[in-house]
Amino acid sequence: MQARINWSFAEACDVSTSVEDVQTAFMREIRALGFSFAACASHVDPLRPPQGAVMMVDYPRRWLERFSAKRYAHRDPVYHTAKKQALPFQWSDLRFRSSLEPDQLRILDEAASLGLRDGFTIPIHSPGALPASCSLAIGHDGVDPLKVRQAHWYAVYAHESARRILLATTPPERPLLSKRERECLMLIAQGKDDYAVSVLLGISEHTAHNTIRRAMKKYSVSTRMQAFVRALRGGEIRLEDVAD
Amino acid sequence: MIHIITAENRHLYRHALMEMHIQRKQVFIDDLGWPLNADSGIEIDAYDSEDAVYLIEADAPRAPVTASARLLRTDRPHLLGERFAHLCDGAPPSGPDVWEATRFCPAPGTPRGDARRSMLARMIAGIMETALIFGIQRVTFVANAALEPLALKVGWSASTLGPAHRAGRERVRAMAAEIDADGLRRVRVQNAILGPLTRFTPGDLVHAA
Repeated sequence: MQARINWSFAEACDVSTSVEDVQTAFMREIRALGFSFAACASHVDPLRPPQGAVMMVDYPRRWLERFSAKRYAHRDPVYHTAKKQALPFQWSDLRFRSSLEPDQLRILDEAASLGLRDGFTIPIHSPGALPASCSLAIGHDGVDPLKVRQAHWYAVYAHESARRILLATTPPERPLLSKRERECLMLIAQGKDDYAVSVLLGISEHTAHNTIRRAMKKYSVSTRMQAFVRALRGGEIRLEDVAD
Repeated sequence: MIHIITAENRHLYRHALMEMHIQRKQVFIDDLGWPLNADSGIEIDAYDSEDAVYLIEADAPRAPVTASARLLRTDRPHLLGERFAHLCDGAPPSGPDVWEATRFCPAPGTPRGDARRSMLARMIAGIMETALIFGIQRVTFVANAALEPLALKVGWSASTLGPAHRAGRERVRAMAAEIDADGLRRVRVQNAILGPLTRFTPGDLVHAA
């Protein structure tokens, strides 16, 4: 299994009344997975964020000052790519790097020289929210690849929680998902693909795929992980549903 | 050299393992178009776990990865048993002395032709050395049209387990190879491999250093 539902993290986020509390819970888990720095943030100037921006950042101070002074929010290749695509990417991925302009590669080099050498960025597209993403830096000791999916759901969950606090919204009371949709999302969070989901639930691969698409549509989200997090936050997936 | 990575020492190889997963995404998804999952940014599936044995070729634990492969126990969930059983005329070989080899991955940019053939021969020698250490007698794998002829003439005793089938854009076939000292010697002689290629670094020793 590549990801488990960390109920105490989910609860800590759910009862938080300030973004700082969510940030504390998030950073604790992310560091426990081995990441060296994290920034779960709207794509804005990190030192002068506008109202409504999510800003949970634990990055080297010198980099944030430079990023702000040089107005990199407009040119940062990580932000640019996160805006265009739904799925996470690694900074050393050739497909990511080969799409960049020279000045954007220089931004990556500068970040590397200040301790942000390699890592992942998880784009976060949420209806009505500023473009956002969560970047997780890998330090000297490295991060076990088996932890990546876990980090992915922490990032999406933390961002959702921060949005809830900023907007003072509450999750809907009425269940949105069918039992089958809930089952599919739980398996997705564990890293199962359509085929594995279909075998485990005794349905066709096609049905599994469409069931997951339907759940994503109900939440208006662009990734499977976001749909899972919405279901978890909305109380549609409960502790008693999961034999952990 | 080829590093043997198990649950015991994988904490020494986090960078190499991460690089392997990103290379697998580049090679199998971006280049070959296999329908695999990379929804967390790297190619990693339900069979990747601490129980898998990885072979990673790199000059040092922190040097660039030049090739990799994954070995799975067949008395646990594995690909041939769960997803490719239809490729076998009989039941897929399985048991405590059978491993399955999957995800042979040359680093992106490895030139076609001799460089790849020689990478594959080294990886097969590495698989045989590792299998001998762990008391494994057979290794199964699914070969595409490019791998099959190479696997048949590399020097080990390999045979097919059933007819070729279409899988996406490729034709694939299930195969098995016997693991023994003679086979390893032949693989070395035929491929100009002068001696053992694998290294195992126990976890605690390096911590103490």
